[in-house]
Amino acid sequence: MLRMQIFVGLISLAFFILTFEFIRKKILREEYAILWLLTSLFIAILSLWPQMVPLISKITGFYYITALLLVVTIFLIALLMHFSIVISKIKDVNKELIQRHGLLELRIRQMEQKTALLKEN
Amino acid sequence: MKKRVAVIVPAYNEENTIGSVVRRIQALGEGYDAIVVNDDSSDLTFSIAHQEGATVIDLPCNLGIGGAVQTGFLYALRNGYDACVQVDGDGQHPTEKIPYLLKTLFEEDLDIVIGSRFIEKTGYDISFMRRIGIGIISLFLKIFTGISVKDSTSGFRAINARAARLFANNYPQDYPEPESLIFAHKYGFKIKEVPTEMTNRLHGISSITPVKSGYYMIKVLLAMFIDLFKKV
Repeated sequence: MLRMQIFVGLISLAFFILTFEFIRKKILREEYAILWLLTSLFIAILSLWPQMVPLISKITGFYYITALLLVVTIFLIALLMHFSIVISKIKDVNKELIQRHGLLELRIRQMEQKTALLKEN
Repeated sequence: MKKRVAVIVPAYNEENTIGSVVRRIQALGEGYDAIVVNDDSSDLTFSIAHQEGATVIDLPCNLGIGGAVQTGFLYALRNGYDACVQVDGDGQHPTEKIPYLLKTLFEEDLDIVIGSRFIEKTGYDISFMRRIGIGIISLFLKIFTGISVKDSTSGFRAINARAARLFANNYPQDYPEPESLIFAHKYGFKIKEVPTEMTNRLHGISSITPVKSGYYMIKVLLAMFIDLFKKV
């Protein structure tokens, strides 16, 4: 039991350090980091207090590993859904930026033409 | 007062045809401005359109037809145009019919006028399968919105400033021609279809190949169905 606890604890620690490093290097935004920090925290609790698992089983009625797998799957699906929403939003914003970029370039070109004409005269 | 019309030409790699399309728009005379939206073409579309004297909006990334046309609406909106006409860059739309579309738009106080291939028998050679596909889309529109449009995928259309304002803000990106009609229905636009002849593409290939048309149909209908529930 103890060996498994150490193992799980190490995983949570690695997870925490990784998340922290990603935030520090600005690879990951804080808003998403919270999710991963909480996940690592959850794993840490699991290693420090392994009795939590049978307790959860008692409360929820999930006695089988397959049931646990289902919970994890639902969590992952929800996460993917969240990412799809984020991507959609980013695509929308991106589209608008591309459009405005095109319009701005046109305006600059038109203004340059005007000033060139003024200089000639 | 003379109306100002933005003739929007979305173009993606149309170097062979864009020049003649721009010239034909300019031949319409005063009040008609050719606005080419270059959708990040890799060929000479931009420089040719620019040389021909069109106003060219050069998009830095490819947005697809919906995003490109919408950019044109945005431009028209900011520059106070009275109407927009959408014309494909491949030269298959009869540009000389543009004044006729606009006459119908203004005289009958409509929001959208669609140049249709099907109202009168014309020389346009359209495949049987595609005809059926367009028919199904039109039937879908008729059932769910009550709009009677035979050529629901025609990209040759004129819209007034009111429609341009709403479309500039919210325009479908995936299959804009049929989908925008659902949006139009939601906005309560008045729509009319008028006959126009179209020629077959001069160069290049259509974005819809026969092989893909079945898959395309399903995707279009699904997108349109979802549009019915969208908040506008």
